[in-house]
Amino acid sequence: MLDLLNAWFVSPFDYGFMRRAVVGGLALSLAAPPLGVFLVLRGMSLIGDAMAHAILPGVALGFLLAGFSLPIMSIGGVLFGLMVALLAGAVSKMGGQREDAAMASFFIISLAAGVMLISLGGSSVDLTHVLFGSILAINSTALLLIAGISTLIVLILAVVFRALVVECLDPLFLRGQSRRSGWVHSVFLGLLVLNLTAGFQTLGTLMAVGLMMLPATSARFWSKRLEGLIGIAIVLAMVASTGGLLLSFHLDIPSGPSIILLAGFGYLFSALFGRYHSLAAKLRRKTTPLAA
Amino acid sequence: MSQRSLSRLQLHNLHLAQARRTVLEHLEGDFKPGAITALIGANGAGKSTLIQAIMGELRPISGEVVCTVAKERRAWLPQQLALDLTFPMSVEELVMTGSWPSHGALTGYCAAHYRKGREIMARLGISHLAHRPLGELSGGQRQRALIGRTLMQEAELLLLDEPFANVDSETVDILIRILRQMADDGATIIVVLHDMDHLRRLADEVLMLNGGHGRWVAPSALTHQHAPAQVVPFTMGGRHVGSA
Repeated sequence: MLDLLNAWFVSPFDYGFMRRAVVGGLALSLAAPPLGVFLVLRGMSLIGDAMAHAILPGVALGFLLAGFSLPIMSIGGVLFGLMVALLAGAVSKMGGQREDAAMASFFIISLAAGVMLISLGGSSVDLTHVLFGSILAINSTALLLIAGISTLIVLILAVVFRALVVECLDPLFLRGQSRRSGWVHSVFLGLLVLNLTAGFQTLGTLMAVGLMMLPATSARFWSKRLEGLIGIAIVLAMVASTGGLLLSFHLDIPSGPSIILLAGFGYLFSALFGRYHSLAAKLRRKTTPLAA
Repeated sequence: MSQRSLSRLQLHNLHLAQARRTVLEHLEGDFKPGAITALIGANGAGKSTLIQAIMGELRPISGEVVCTVAKERRAWLPQQLALDLTFPMSVEELVMTGSWPSHGALTGYCAAHYRKGREIMARLGISHLAHRPLGELSGGQRQRALIGRTLMQEAELLLLDEPFANVDSETVDILIRILRQMADDGATIIVVLHDMDHLRRLADEVLMLNGGHGRWVAPSALTHQHAPAQVVPFTMGGRHVGSA
């Protein structure tokens, strides 16, 4: 029995690439889910997806300039992501179009541009790397970058936490409180871009969103408190990223999709059996009417 | 004119527009400390537009809003539907956010803040709900929690948009009492009302918006016409009262 446990859960980490992968996954699991929780609460769940597309051209440009160098590609991704977010905001203010419409337009343009750039300069393998990630190929530099960005995100989040909460609940109150309240939204978008940039090496630009959104949407079925939502989402993300890695190791299946699918399984499970709003919760309520 | 210098909020020949369509013009106004002004008018008469302008959210076409109250002491209680009610926040947490002006958004609360928050919740009769999430409250309880936040904020200028809609009568009584106390403590209060009974109980002055113009009327002039306290929806009665 002990041997089996050892073979499944411990010995995979004898390999350096697995150790780096699991640390990278855990670091991301700390930073991404809280952002996801705020996105869900703001009714902006799809913005994460859109943003992920937005960083692609920057990543591609970095790739064209410096080859497969994570720092350069990350810087490109952050710069481009921020630029697109600002542009989308500006267009929606200017034209009176809703921000999500402007974002949707910009982001699909970005995706096409990114894929075009990478295809021009590299092979289809490079494209697969950028779009779907390669968590098993993380080197020490990449790991430091991911851990550094995750730490930064958690720290900034801690500082702006309360402002962010109030902006979610009642943006007008926040605007009344401070002339500079616009920074809260900008900081949040910046954190989002940073996080997706850290995630693209491991899960790819297309799936980095998964580790952000799925734990957050699952947590909604388990808690009604903000602290609870964030805590549960982080735990779910950690379990999914570590479990997904182990599954991919033992079953010889691709790592990124394993992680996201495991998180997706968590979501379906939560939707069926969670404490609140789940199918099971609805059935429970039917069988125990209020005592009059 | 000597009283003018005392007032916290003045409207001078105000001209407001939404999407290039004039909503209000030649609007004059003078809101004194300690006075509760009812803002009435039919739907679309410009009540929300005027509130936006007072809060500094809408720039006037011409004229000006002169407000001597610091921005963080202005409170706006929007209509209930404007808030996301599923947000995972407790009553106490909501009330505590009102303490921002005194200590900033980034630092934590201290014991004195929590004490004040608890006192306020007791005044509003919502102490037992302190740790209940907002989503589980009734309309009246939520409205009391929101008023709690403005009390925490020590608001000197308070704008309320139909605070008594979807609210139980006990809450109406409590809110009217609290608003009167705030006014007695020197706050300037402007409240959008639709209900004659509430107007009679609450308003010191009435600003009636009709056909793009504002008219100041005495509350007694309005309530006499509808002598027994009754609910008169202004979507029906506004024009009639306005031309009287």
